[in-house]
Amino acid sequence: MIDCDVHNDWSSSNVLLPYIDTTFRDYLLRGELPGARGSFPHAHRPWLHPEDFRRHDIKPTNDDEHYSFMRENLLDRYKPDVAILTGEEALEVSTLANPHYASALASAYNNWVIDTWLPRDDRFWASIIIAPQDPQGAAAEIRRLGSHPRVVQVLASHGSYRPYGDKFYDPIWQACSEVGLPFAVHLGGQGGINYQPIGGGPTTYYWETHALLLQPSMTHVASVISNGIFERYPNMMFVVIECGVTWLPSILWRLDANWKALRKETPWVKRLPSEYARDHIRMSTQPLEEAANKQHLWDVLAAMDGENMLMFASDYPHWDFDAPDDMQLPKEWLPKIMDGNARQVYKKLPRQLVPNDTKAGVMS
Amino acid sequence: MSAMTDKRKHYAICKAADLPPGQRIIADLDGRSVGVFNVNGEYHALHNRCPHAAGTLCMGPVTGTTLPTEHGAREFVYGSEGHILRCAWHGWEFEIETGKCLIDAKVRAKTFKVSVENDQVVVHI
Ligand code: FES
Repeated sequence: MIDCDVHNDWSSSNVLLPYIDTTFRDYLLRGELPGARGSFPHAHRPWLHPEDFRRHDIKPTNDDEHYSFMRENLLDRYKPDVAILTGEEALEVSTLANPHYASALASAYNNWVIDTWLPRDDRFWASIIIAPQDPQGAAAEIRRLGSHPRVVQVLASHGSYRPYGDKFYDPIWQACSEVGLPFAVHLGGQGGINYQPIGGGPTTYYWETHALLLQPSMTHVASVISNGIFERYPNMMFVVIECGVTWLPSILWRLDANWKALRKETPWVKRLPSEYARDHIRMSTQPLEEAANKQHLWDVLAAMDGENMLMFASDYPHWDFDAPDDMQLPKEWLPKIMDGNARQVYKKLPRQLVPNDTKAGVMS
Repeated sequence: MSAMTDKRKHYAICKAADLPPGQRIIADLDGRSVGVFNVNGEYHALHNRCPHAAGTLCMGPVTGTTLPTEHGAREFVYGSEGHILRCAWHGWEFEIETGKCLIDAKVRAKTFKVSVENDQVVVHI
């Protein structure tokens, strides 16, 4: 079983001090922070969870506990073979106006996760975080660490300055393609320079907003397909993490219909948008939509070939955690969703042990 | 414990004085995790397994909450202080005394009878 979204947090951003470029160490040490010393430099989203966005049964007080609680409550309890680390606040570098500082913080995080988290547990595999508002800096970071044997993806927040298929990001796609890593976006970065996380204007309440936060991921899917990313980088996979899933078939139907009529606008797009999606886009499951009638959910998931497009994620330790042993999915899809699909996307992971022998099947 | 059937098993949890009002204890009773709460001097026990997705219900905050308002009035009336348990996972709210979920009374956390015997808080399962 593979968990595609596991958050490795810190007690204080001071852990980055030994890992950050000397110029920016001063910023982190003495510069303004959004909270008390030890908080992480970022522009926070304007919606605050009224009960904290972390689970209330997991309250680590130091860095060792961040790992030991994770081991107890996730790794040893559900026994994933692979936990893909996605960081926590580091993703929010995308909100900073200063691209140099943002990239320095991202590099520091990447050094820290490689140096301190990966050695802790042989189930850990890392994402490297980039500052997408600094495409050249991000590309350099991808080339610096992309060949690390335990680094499996390049990660940015889904809240963004521009849609990710935009020319502005070409250096990032180029670098990802060169090192052979998927580019992933994870829910986050809804503040600062990423000023339009909700279409129509800022919503008011947290729960209302949380249900809508997936909006930019629709934009990214349309953008990467219409901009021909997968024609220019045929080896690329685009992974959408924590952005809901059931909207995908609807958007793809609409994109397909429009492309048939207006192909001339983007002559580099040669196939149906849904075909690019099938071959190059994957979605993580959590938080999987909860339908009153399970069959309705499954019908929508079937329409997007959920068995092959979805990859399980728990989002440990957040408030909308999905437990791997309680996934409301058709049993026969579980081997691929819980394990096989992620191994296709993350090529550095060991191949699956024995066909049909999956822990996911046992747990379902 | 005695060799009676499960239904009548009695579990001594702690001395009554060790569970003052507003406090809780989570105990493992033969493999079943149970939260015992003192709400204003009355003891209540709930299965530490949420009816939503089997999360650690009893490890969440004990709190009050906003009471529903009429006719869409944008008002905040805070009440039920100390009577509401929020599940530690996704935060569904439950009334400690009844185990009823605030969004749907048909969703209920399992409750167990609690008594005080010889100054011991005892859960009946
Ligand atoms: S498991 Fe308790 S609210 Fe979801």
